Amino acid sequence: MARVAREMVEKAGINVEQLLELLVKNAAAELTTYYYYTILRSNLIGLEGEGVKEIAEAARIEDRNHFEALVPRIYELGGKLPDDMKAFHDLSACKPARLPKDPTDVNEILKVLVEAERCAVRGYTHICNMTFGKDHRTYDLSLAILNEEIEHESWFSEFLGEGPSGHFMRRGDNSPFVRKFLQ
Amino acid sequence: MKVFNALELSMFNGKGSPAYVAHMGKVYDVSDSVLWREGRHQALHEAGVDLTEALSQAPHGDELLKGFPVVGIYNTLIK
Repeated sequence: MARVAREMVEKAGINVEQLLELLVKNAAAELTTYYYYTILRSNLIGLEGEGVKEIAEAARIEDRNHFEALVPRIYELGGKLPDDMKAFHDLSACKPARLPKDPTDVNEILKVLVEAERCAVRGYTHICNMTFGKDHRTYDLSLAILNEEIEHESWFSEFLGEGPSGHFMRRGDNSPFVRKFLQ
Repeated sequence: MKVFNALELSMFNGKGSPAYVAHMGKVYDVSDSVLWREGRHQALHEAGVDLTEALSQAPHGDELLKGFPVVGIYNTLIK
């Protein structure tokens, strides 16, 4: 634990135990999403599915990176991950991104993907609001993750015909915002 | 439809009982939601209370609540 770092956050008026619970719940959401995205991506096949596969892969890898970036902050603040993987899964901040009943329905897969991203956008917006001006490091991390989650949402939203995302595919490495926390 | 006062609503806190929350005068049953396990939501909210004020501060609107069954009416004027 980074004792003084935690004290600074407490002195700024943050309920650190509450924040830790939120960080663990969101870390659980990232790892479970990574798992479920692996299944979703595997089912993005055929003429329609292949067009979405690459972008789903970028979101999958970036969600795993979010998990990797959140874990050190949880321990710095004196928290920990549950010992039990199933318990970790069950406390996820977002509901599982399960494969739809018809796994060949690319539109239904996209709806699952966009809902997962929207849940993440809400979650990190909330953490940013909570930590802004008080816990600079958690804010910086949450903002970096939020930037990527917003892009994921807009990618899938565009495929669903909700309008242009205004973004292009990732060029170069994944996680342009979160990468600095993965060094 | 059943009318709940604050005391009655508080008994449905999701801890060994169904999880109910009130919003804008309606009582919703959120027991089946994975995001309301044991009557807790996102580390910040508890079931068995009126969330009208809290929802106005939340990063989502009432559209997420409207998918749940309405099980009653919330009226704080009833003792």
